[in-house]
Amino acid sequence: MALLQINDLIVLYGEIEALRGVSISVEEGQVVTLLGANGAGKSTTLRAISGLTKPAAGEILFDGQSIAGLGPEAIVRLGISHVPEGRRVFPGLSVKENIMLGASNRRIGKSELSREADAMFDLFPDIRAFSNALGWTLSGGQLQMVAVARGLMAKPRLLLLDEPSLGLAPVIVQAVFRIISEIRRNTTVLLVEQNARMGLSVADHGYVLETGRIVLGGKPDELWGNEAIRAAYLGGHAKVSA
Amino acid sequence: MACGKAINNRRPKILLPGISMDLALQLLFTGIGIGAVYALVALGFVLIFRATNVVNFAQGEFSMVAAYLMVVFAVDLGWPYWLSFLLALAGMALLGAIFNLGVYYPLRHRSFLPVIIATIGASILLSNSVLAIYGPQPQVLEGWFETPGIQLGPVYLDSQYLLIIAVTIVLVIFNYWFFEHTMLGKKLQATSQDKEMASLLGISVSTMIMITFIYSAVLGGLAGILVAPVLFVSIQMGSTIALKAFAATIIGGFGDVTGAIIGGLALGIIETFGAAYISVPYKDGFAFLVLVAFLVFRPQGIFGERVAEKA
Repeated sequence: MALLQINDLIVLYGEIEALRGVSISVEEGQVVTLLGANGAGKSTTLRAISGLTKPAAGEILFDGQSIAGLGPEAIVRLGISHVPEGRRVFPGLSVKENIMLGASNRRIGKSELSREADAMFDLFPDIRAFSNALGWTLSGGQLQMVAVARGLMAKPRLLLLDEPSLGLAPVIVQAVFRIISEIRRNTTVLLVEQNARMGLSVADHGYVLETGRIVLGGKPDELWGNEAIRAAYLGGHAKVSA
Repeated sequence: MACGKAINNRRPKILLPGISMDLALQLLFTGIGIGAVYALVALGFVLIFRATNVVNFAQGEFSMVAAYLMVVFAVDLGWPYWLSFLLALAGMALLGAIFNLGVYYPLRHRSFLPVIIATIGASILLSNSVLAIYGPQPQVLEGWFETPGIQLGPVYLDSQYLLIIAVTIVLVIFNYWFFEHTMLGKKLQATSQDKEMASLLGISVSTMIMITFIYSAVLGGLAGILVAPVLFVSIQMGSTIALKAFAATIIGGFGDVTGAIIGGLALGIIETFGAAYISVPYKDGFAFLVLVAFLVFRPQGIFGERVAEKA
């Protein structure tokens, strides 16, 4: 049984159908990447899973249990942690405080919390020096590290990562993806990416989302092999014309 | 100020022509005392504003209702002052919770405008309910202490003002400890900075907002109870205090906790000196003159908005 199974998910924003029957499945231990252009519904899919957006119809099963319609506070307690688009690091709190708050879904004491947050810096050595800096003072790459570290503090079984490479310099993107390949040893990841090359490089399985529908799914090399898909979504077009 | 006798023996220092140092010190003490009341109410404004992005126009009525609760318990029922005090604060905690559930919670997904109008409605409801019960005559509440005050050198320290200042100092320290050194304080800050993200982390946003309303109602109530023996207990006391406190938050920098406290103290001092040296009838005018000056020349206040707009 898949860890996350979504069947015929429909999400409406007013009159607009943002998702028009999306079905995906994520097996335990996998990294699954959701690709697609802007406005295809990638973020909406993640928001529906984490409970920020209520689906109009369809099923979301986590470990066999239906979670569609539950609030975000309940869903993160079940073990799904969502690192949303734009990092959303609390600007007026320090890096360490941000990371500590990531464990708000678990009941642990403050000293234990502090220890776990310090241990998190082993995975993210680049932000260790900024432990006491306020959120708003950090660069985009540092914010992304904090956001992912905070997401991992929930000790999730499933981590939802929304566009971790967005707006970052190539060398920082590589660092972020190195961390994702570290994370996947212990945690299942559902990754949303516009950067298809990077997104598929760490994935076991990929889906392509187009205007609210899944148009293709498969192993990364199957997706690479599809000419039309390469041209439209995977940045292959420039290569062909060159 | 260390040794009263020595100061008394010297000739009064002249600060400005016609203004003695002794009188200035006396005014400073009174100004800080009344400013502390504004600071407490301003703190309530700021905490609710940060948690909900809405100005609670009933914040002043919290002070008024608490003062009347003191009148009910300590005067009408004749219960001990300390018991009445605790019961009045408990009543304010309950009022804060009811206020949240009845005024804010049903409208929480709407824009700020319906919520603001609802708080104005609640303010009218509260003051008219009290009017219906007690009528328009002001009530009198005794101060906590039997001793009216102590003479310290040239300055007469009124015991009620001393109490107000002491309670405010304790609360400011508590507030700092609570928001900077407890996880609950951090969760409240996180909620005020980004509610959606806070909920994604498993922080119960509705609980955080409930705590904020209860805490703000108790702060406002405390201000009302403390200032009641200095003023009269009247229906209008809430709106007078709230207007000054609101001016204090703008002077300090809206949304800033330190700013609210500094702004409140500054306003208390300014209006006390203004009344003494320029004109008593225009006492309330000085506060608003300063407010207008700030709105024109430094609308972000002394401390500005350090956090809210930067992310």
